[in-house]
Amino acid sequence: MNDGILPRGPLIWAGRLAILAFIFAAWEIVSREKLIDPILIGAPSGVAQFLWEGIFVNGSLIDDLGWTMLGTLLAFVLGSAAGILFGMLFVISPTLEALFNPILTAMNAMPRIALAPLFLIWFGLGLGSKVAVGFSLTFFIVLSSTVAGGRGVNPDHITLARALGASGLQVFRKFVLPSAVPVIFNGLRLGLIYALLGVVGGEIIASEHGLGQALQLLAASFKTNGVFGIIILLALVSVCIMTAMNWLENRLLRWR
Amino acid sequence: MTADGAIVLDRVSVRFAAGVVAVSEVSLRIRAGEFVSIVGPSGCGKTTLLNFAAGLLPRDVGSGTFTVGGRPPVEGNRDIAYMLARDALAPWRTALENAELGAEIRGVPLAERRRRTIDLLDKVGLKGFEHAYPKQLSHGMRQRVALARTFALESPILLMDEPFGALDAQTKLQLEDVLLSLWQRDGRTVLFITHDLSEAVTMSDRVIVMSARPGRIVAEVSINLPRPRSVRALQKDPAFHELYAHVWSKLEEGLGA
Ligand SMILES: Nc1ncnc2c1ncn2[C@@H]1O[C@H](COP(=O)(O)OP(=O)(O)O)[C@@H](O)[C@H]1O
Ligand SMILES: [Mg+2]
Repeated sequence: MNDGILPRGPLIWAGRLAILAFIFAAWEIVSREKLIDPILIGAPSGVAQFLWEGIFVNGSLIDDLGWTMLGTLLAFVLGSAAGILFGMLFVISPTLEALFNPILTAMNAMPRIALAPLFLIWFGLGLGSKVAVGFSLTFFIVLSSTVAGGRGVNPDHITLARALGASGLQVFRKFVLPSAVPVIFNGLRLGLIYALLGVVGGEIIASEHGLGQALQLLAASFKTNGVFGIIILLALVSVCIMTAMNWLENRLLRWR
Repeated sequence: MTADGAIVLDRVSVRFAAGVVAVSEVSLRIRAGEFVSIVGPSGCGKTTLLNFAAGLLPRDVGSGTFTVGGRPPVEGNRDIAYMLARDALAPWRTALENAELGAEIRGVPLAERRRRTIDLLDKVGLKGFEHAYPKQLSHGMRQRVALARTFALESPILLMDEPFGALDAQTKLQLEDVLLSLWQRDGRTVLFITHDLSEAVTMSDRVIVMSARPGRIVAEVSINLPRPRSVRALQKDPAFHELYAHVWSKLEEGLGA
């Protein structure tokens, strides 16, 4: 985050809004004048109408958003819990890592979305298969950041701990774990975004609910305004998630 | 402080696996309460000697007889407090939490170590900075925290590996004064490594001069300047400069050999 070096203040915000307003205005004009076929690009007014109805009138978007967020949350919590657990085991026992590393590397190299059809067979059309796709992404990201964090302990701390006669548990709790936290946190931030990606991707392939499923239906019937509406909604959700994670990080890691 | 704080080396050699002889036939007897400095060119085995004393060397690289506080070196020896060249502060702990880290690991009860640490942070000149994180502290202040952490251990033997080596001249003089006053207060044994001859002469009862690798002792110089010493006043003392020149010539002999 290099926000710190950017100038801030009301002027910047006004400028940002002006740019956004300009883009939407140009988009609207191009669409109305049919400079580009509206089937391809929709129009901001249509997108706004779609979002308004989906959110405030019939509530169908809220419903889909709820399913997508629930899937994302489950995939994130399960994936990162498992990732941190296995990561820590690998940090403690290099033998264990040596055993599992080739399998995990191969699994991580696989394009995970290709597993989605398999997960559909295993877990059905519902939430389970979406959580599984999100999990398969989040788990590896958090696992590798945990291992990297756990290995990144300052050698001086280890020398100090040995001279003090620290037990293995003390070294782990007082040096390895706290020094790994910032690196793990970077993994969690990325893992959350990928959990969302996995769930929405799974929904697009086949689902009963969710924003991905709605997106797929709208695109299949060329409802471009709806497609843009959902894309904008997903972008807003991602921004909210990132902001929340940054806020949490700043609270937890005040020492940095 | 139960054990006696003597350190005795009798024909101690250290030969690492790669065939590197880091230390060769070093014999040295440090009395309890003595302040002894070792100077010598970089790579002559000074850190290796301290690691040996602290029980941090791998088995069977060392030979000869080495006793610290009356027994062979052992990792985690409670009679020893080891201060490294770099401060090794934990960035996620405040100055106070860092200063008490050593005592915490050695199982000193919370109330007792808090009392010691708060007192020591005051003595090293960090009153009011107890709750600052290391990133908010200057280099010198961080080394002060490390000094407090070392003294909070109440071990009779202090091993210090170039603790002020990376500090600017002013800060260094200040910290030397702090160290001398802490040492004066409770008379622990200090084995102090430095590459700064002036620092060695200023602080020590005795300066050991080592040769380039393989490190051997080439000279021992007694520093019979009166105590308590003022670091600043000494810089203008002719007796100090005479001793400094003497140690310097011995060091040059060791380099030439
Ligand atoms: N664990 C080790 N294995 C192999 N060689 C080492 C090890 N530790 C130190 N040495 C070597 O021993 C010599 C002395 O090192 P050191 O004691 O750190 O020197 P000094 O502190 O006097 O600068 C150096 O040549 C160094 O490379
Ligand atoms: Mg050294």
